[in-house]
Amino acid sequence: MKKSSLVFNSSSRAMNTSVAGHQVSQSSRHKWNFAGSQTRRNSILVGGSNRKRNILDRNANQAPRKPVRVLDNDGNDVTPLPLYHAEPGDMPSKPGRFLDEIFSSSESDQLKSTSSFNMRSFGSFLGSSLPSSLSTTASMTKGTEDSVPKLDIPIIPPPPCGQRKRDNVKQHVTEEMLDDVVDVCLTETDTISLFDLPPLIFMSEDADDTKAIKERNLQYAELCKNRTGNDKYVERSMQTFSGAPKEKQIQTDKIVMVDEGSTIGSLLEMETCSLNAESNPELIMLTESFQHSLLVMERSIVANLFQPKLAAYRQLPIIKDPDSTVKPETEEKSEEGEESSSSPTLERLWAFSCELTRGWNITCMVWNKENPDLLAVAYGDCDSTNQKPSLICCWSLKNPTWPERVFHCHSCVTSLDFSANNPSQLAVGMYDGTIAIYTVQSRNNIHCIANSSECSKRHLKPVWQVNWSKQEITLSGEDRVEALVAVSADGRITKWLLCSNGLECIDLMKLKKTKNSKKKAVESKKKTEHMGSALTPGLCMDFHPTDSSVYLVGTWEGLIQKCSVANCHNVLETYQNHFCPVNSIEWSPFSPDVFLSCSSDWTIQLWKQECLTPVLSFTSAQRAVYAVRWSPNWSTIFAAINGLQVEIWDLNLSILHPTIVHQAAPGVTVTSVLFSRGTDCVLVGDSEGQVTVYQLKNLSVGQGKQVDSLEDIIGSAVSRYL
Amino acid sequence: MAEVEETLKRIQSQNGVQGIIIVNTEGIPIKTTLDNASTVQYAGLIHQLVMKARSTVRDIDPQNDLTFLRVRSKKNEIMIAPDKDYFLIVIQNPSD
Repeated sequence: MKKSSLVFNSSSRAMNTSVAGHQVSQSSRHKWNFAGSQTRRNSILVGGSNRKRNILDRNANQAPRKPVRVLDNDGNDVTPLPLYHAEPGDMPSKPGRFLDEIFSSSESDQLKSTSSFNMRSFGSFLGSSLPSSLSTTASMTKGTEDSVPKLDIPIIPPPPCGQRKRDNVKQHVTEEMLDDVVDVCLTETDTISLFDLPPLIFMSEDADDTKAIKERNLQYAELCKNRTGNDKYVERSMQTFSGAPKEKQIQTDKIVMVDEGSTIGSLLEMETCSLNAESNPELIMLTESFQHSLLVMERSIVANLFQPKLAAYRQLPIIKDPDSTVKPETEEKSEEGEESSSSPTLERLWAFSCELTRGWNITCMVWNKENPDLLAVAYGDCDSTNQKPSLICCWSLKNPTWPERVFHCHSCVTSLDFSANNPSQLAVGMYDGTIAIYTVQSRNNIHCIANSSECSKRHLKPVWQVNWSKQEITLSGEDRVEALVAVSADGRITKWLLCSNGLECIDLMKLKKTKNSKKKAVESKKKTEHMGSALTPGLCMDFHPTDSSVYLVGTWEGLIQKCSVANCHNVLETYQNHFCPVNSIEWSPFSPDVFLSCSSDWTIQLWKQECLTPVLSFTSAQRAVYAVRWSPNWSTIFAAINGLQVEIWDLNLSILHPTIVHQAAPGVTVTSVLFSRGTDCVLVGDSEGQVTVYQLKNLSVGQGKQVDSLEDIIGSAVSRYL
Repeated sequence: MAEVEETLKRIQSQNGVQGIIIVNTEGIPIKTTLDNASTVQYAGLIHQLVMKARSTVRDIDPQNDLTFLRVRSKKNEIMIAPDKDYFLIVIQNPSD
């Protein structure tokens, strides 16, 4: 019998024997590819058992070297036998057999301790070693049953012959050995591969990159080989700090889910879909923003074309287009033209005209009170026999090629006026006596907001002029109420108010006929009897620029009557000089006492308010003067039209002759004139539907105070009389 | 609709207008008076330009937005009215 002991044999590879002071018997060394695994298995198994029982107990029971003896009452040594003895070479092990059943190899070597208990005593049996042969398994089994009935685990039972060995071992174990420090060395086994399945990537040999892949595989295998012991590869451990998590709660809006279904139609539907795609452009084109874009685009294009003219109008320097391809010939011509005209003249800038208005006769032009770029023009033929419909166009300076608004009226429009309080309201007086208020604001909505056709006291004869006039000051001191005052051929001056039903009117004044002062007494009787026929048509009127309760009316008889709003029976003054109908009358914007009147008797008269006879009188052509207008920029300039020509008078230069005379084109009669505020341009309307914008050139207007110059002239004129 | 058509006709008949292109959001021309090749070229190039211009304007002030873009070149002027649904492009040669 060999002395057996717990043998902690070193493995064939790397491990050191750890038991000092004990007999270690060498065992035969075999290759133990699988034994090691068995070892581990065993250790696991045995270790598992340890959990069930107290480790110390276990050790106590197992180690034959432990000097623990259990004696019963009789003194018999009933020390439990160790569970296992490691026998060199010829101890079959049940676990070995157990495991051998699992692993096919029968080669195993004695052991290896992989104990992990660092105890004073020997390590445990956990590092159990395996006997190699299987032959003595049966005997082992027997022994196991005897020694350790409690254990369920197939622990390697000590062989029956192990008892003797145990005794031997016991003898060797002394007290001193208890105190020995046993070094238990823990080592790591090599990586034991239990299962090696080569990569199952099936590569077809025909694949293009098979070769490449194979090469890469080889390279990788070599890389792995070279990894160990290579300086390039360094193993290092790291620790990452995990920050303390913090809970944060947020809230979101509920995500709204909408179920939507759609069906994909057949090809037929696809074809129609392509048509629908075309209808989308229509949808786009109908949108408000598209129309606005069109508007802006049109204005930009037109601005490009009219830029020099508009710049001249606005008195901006005209910048020559550096890229323009204007031929040098025309430039020469224009230079020549400039040299010759150093005398005052009207230079044509452009004309507002379009297809729509071609051929119409212009009756009235008026600027918007708030937007100085907006011009309203009335087109129509005032023919008493034919009631022809007429047109009102609102033009913008930004687009002289097409009006911004077009209104159709059933009757010829004779007069227009924009309101000052509501700048979008346009008052219209018509040939049939209707007064209407239009709004120019939006393109699509209804334009006519009020009509006097239902009013009982409406005019039945042509309305020759309409005027908005600010009248009373309200109690709260806000904007003064604006009243629409109209002069009509039936001799009445009416004030119209816009109320919920429409327009309502109040008579301000009735223009009574007065022939000669001699016949006054006779007439007065007639007046009371025939109120209707005793009224003379009023042709024009103008409110005093500062005192809005006073206004002037020019009548068909040639009288100019100054009336007051407050007094509806009597006139304040009568200015009598003309013997033909007074066509136009206007207060001077600079001098509050001065007004101009023109008449079909070929004359233009300048009056001073206090003086009942005109201060100055102007005649140039032997033709009826249809309109006269003061210039809003210079006090001594006014314009007059007499059918075939436009005359610009500058009183500074001459009171006998007009400074500029501009002939209309042959066949065309000039019907309307309008100055524009802030620029040196004048607009002339003719019978062809064209509103031409002229610039006053080379007018040497004095820089002195406007009022003074006019007063001076008048003063000098008056002094001539005296 | 008739009014819109009329306005387009008027624009087309203005002096020097070479072409009008209306492009939808995807960059597909939906109405044009030029030939196909030019239309497609203009549509593609101008789309990028407008995007860049718009982003420039908005980068400077996020509350601002591009409303009109005019590109004046030696030979002509390209005017673009961008919107979220469409681009309206007009090419004009003002000196004609």
